[in-house]
Amino acid sequence: MISVRPKTTVLLILCGLIGIAAFGWPLLVTPDSKIAHGGDAPWTFALLLPLVLAVVLAELSEGGMDSKAVAMLGVLSAIGAAVRPLGAGTAGIETVFFLMVLGGRVFGPGFGFVLGNTTLFASALLTGGVGPWLPYQMLGAAWVALGAGLLPDLKGRAELVMLALYGVVSSLMYGFLLNLSFWPYAVGTGTTVSFVPGDPVWDNLIRLAAFSLATSLGWDLGRAITTAVLVLLTGPVFLRALRRAARKAAFISP
Amino acid sequence: MTLHPGAWWLWGLLLAVAASRTTNPLLLGLVIAVAGLVAVACRTEAPWADAYGVFLKLGLLIIALRVVFHVLLGGITGETVLFTLPEIPLPSWAKGIRLGGPVSAEGLLFALYQGLQLATLLGCIGAVNALANPKRALRSMPAALYEVSVAVVVALTTAPQLVASAKAVRKARRLRGDGARGWRALRTLLVPVLEDALDRSLALAAAMDSRGYGRTASVPAGTRRLTSALVLAGLIGLCVGIYGLLDGQASPYVTFGLLLAGAGLAIAGLRLGAKRVPRTRYRPDPWRWQESVVAGSGAIAAAATVFVSASGGSGLVMSVVPIEVPTLPLIPALGVLVALAPIAVRTR
Repeated sequence: MISVRPKTTVLLILCGLIGIAAFGWPLLVTPDSKIAHGGDAPWTFALLLPLVLAVVLAELSEGGMDSKAVAMLGVLSAIGAAVRPLGAGTAGIETVFFLMVLGGRVFGPGFGFVLGNTTLFASALLTGGVGPWLPYQMLGAAWVALGAGLLPDLKGRAELVMLALYGVVSSLMYGFLLNLSFWPYAVGTGTTVSFVPGDPVWDNLIRLAAFSLATSLGWDLGRAITTAVLVLLTGPVFLRALRRAARKAAFISP
Repeated sequence: MTLHPGAWWLWGLLLAVAASRTTNPLLLGLVIAVAGLVAVACRTEAPWADAYGVFLKLGLLIIALRVVFHVLLGGITGETVLFTLPEIPLPSWAKGIRLGGPVSAEGLLFALYQGLQLATLLGCIGAVNALANPKRALRSMPAALYEVSVAVVVALTTAPQLVASAKAVRKARRLRGDGARGWRALRTLLVPVLEDALDRSLALAAAMDSRGYGRTASVPAGTRRLTSALVLAGLIGLCVGIYGLLDGQASPYVTFGLLLAGAGLAIAGLRLGAKRVPRTRYRPDPWRWQESVVAGSGAIAAAATVFVSASGGSGLVMSVVPIEVPTLPLIPALGVLVALAPIAVRTR
C-alpha cells in the first residue's frame, strides 16, 4: 500500500543504524567518550530520534501515501490506541502488538513502519504519555511491524503459526531493546548492575540480564505470550477482514 | 484561548535542562514545585490536565526503584555503614554483581539524588503534558509530515467512535435476545466492530479522494533530487557524528559539529520536501507575546543554571563521599523562580 523505493530502503537502513546506536549505546560506548559518564546520552538520542523518524516518515509519505493508506492507518492506529489501555497496568498484557504484526503482514513493510509510529504516537497523545521514552517505543514498534511485512509468503495454518512465532520473537526483542534504552535511566551509574562504559560487551550483557531479571522479565514474557495468543485467536478473522478491505480499497486497478 | 503548545514544550524542556545540570535536592525540589504550581494554575478542563500527577507518581517509582537497587545490589561504598544485609554468594560468571551486603549512607544518598533528578525531569515533562494541547500540537507538525499527521488526526477522532460502534452492536444484539457475556460476547463483538471501522475508513478515503485530498504540487526534478541529497547527507552526517560520540577519539567540537550539520541538513531536506504539499492554513495558530514570555522564562531558568554550572559554581552537584549538606545556590534558584512567569501571563 505504501511503496518502498530503493532510496527509502537506504534511509530505513541509516535510520536502523542510528536506532541501534540509540538503543545500544551503553554496550557500544568507549570509556574515552564524553557522554559515557554524564547523564546526557539518553537525552541526546531522545532529541535526535524524532528528527530521524520525521525524515523517514516524510520520505515514505512522499513515495505515494494515498488517501486509502491514510484512512487505513488512521483506523488501525485508532483500534491500537483504543485497546492499548486495556492491558496497561496488568502485568505484561500487551494488547497492541498483534494488531501491528497483522497490519504489517497484510499491508507490507512500508505501511508497517508508519503504522508502528502512528499507533504509539496516537496512544501517547490520547493518554498524555509523551515523554523521552516515546521515540524509542515508536521506533521499536515500527521495526516490529516492518519485520512482519518482510516474512515469507505462507498460506493458511502455516501462516498463522509463523505470525505467532514472529510475535513471540519480536516482542522479546522489543522488550530487550526497550530495557536497554531504559537501563541507564532506571539504575543510573554506581550500582553493580549499572553499565560500565568500555567494559567487554559480554560483561555488560550479564549486568543487563540481571537488571532485566530483576525488573521486567515478567512483563516481557507476558507481552510475548499475549501477542502470540492474540495472533492465533484473532488472526483468521483479522487477516480476512484486512485483506478484504485492501481489495476493496483498490479503487482504480481491480 | 490557551497558549501555543510549542511555548509549553519549550518552557518544559528548558526547565528540564536546568534540572539536568544539578543533583542538589533543594534546587530539584524547587523545580518540581515550580512545574507543579504552573501545571495546577494554568491547566484547563481538558482530559489530559491530570498528567502531572501521573508523571509525579512515575518519578516516585523511579526513586524507589533506584533506592531498592542500591540496597539489594550494592554500589557506591562508603564509611558510614547503616546496616548490613546477609550476602548471597553468586557464581564467578556474574561479573561483580553482589546480592546483599553492607548498605552505606553514601550509596543511599547517591541513589536518592540521582532518582530525584530523573523524577524532576519527568515532572517537567508531566507539566507540559498537562498544559500543551496535543491536537493543536499536531497542527504545528512540519508540512512534509502532512499525510502522517492526518493519519494521526483520523486515529484520534476514530478512537471514540469505536466505543460508540461497540455500544451500538451490543444494543442490537440485546434487542435480538442475545445476552452473551464475557469472552463469547467479546468474540461476537469483534468482527462487526472491526468491519464497521474498516468500512468507515474506506468511506473516509473515498470522501477524501472526491474532495481532491492528496493532490500534490508538481515539484521540479531538480528540487526533488536536492531534497533527497539533503536528507541522505543529513542522516549520514548524523551516523558519523554518533559514531564519533560513542568512540570519543575525535574532538568534541568535530563530533558536535557533525551532529549539528547532519541535523541541519535533515531539517533543510524536510522543509524543501514540504513544497510538494501546497496548502494554506485556516485560522493559523498565533504566537503572541505571552508565548514568548513563557518560552523566555524557561530559557532564563536554563541559562542561569547552565551558566553557573559551566563556570564551576558550587552547590549544583552534590558530593556524596564525603557527605555534603545541601545549600540553595542563589543564581540558579532565582532563575528557576523566573519560570513561574506563565502564571502571570495566563489567559483565561
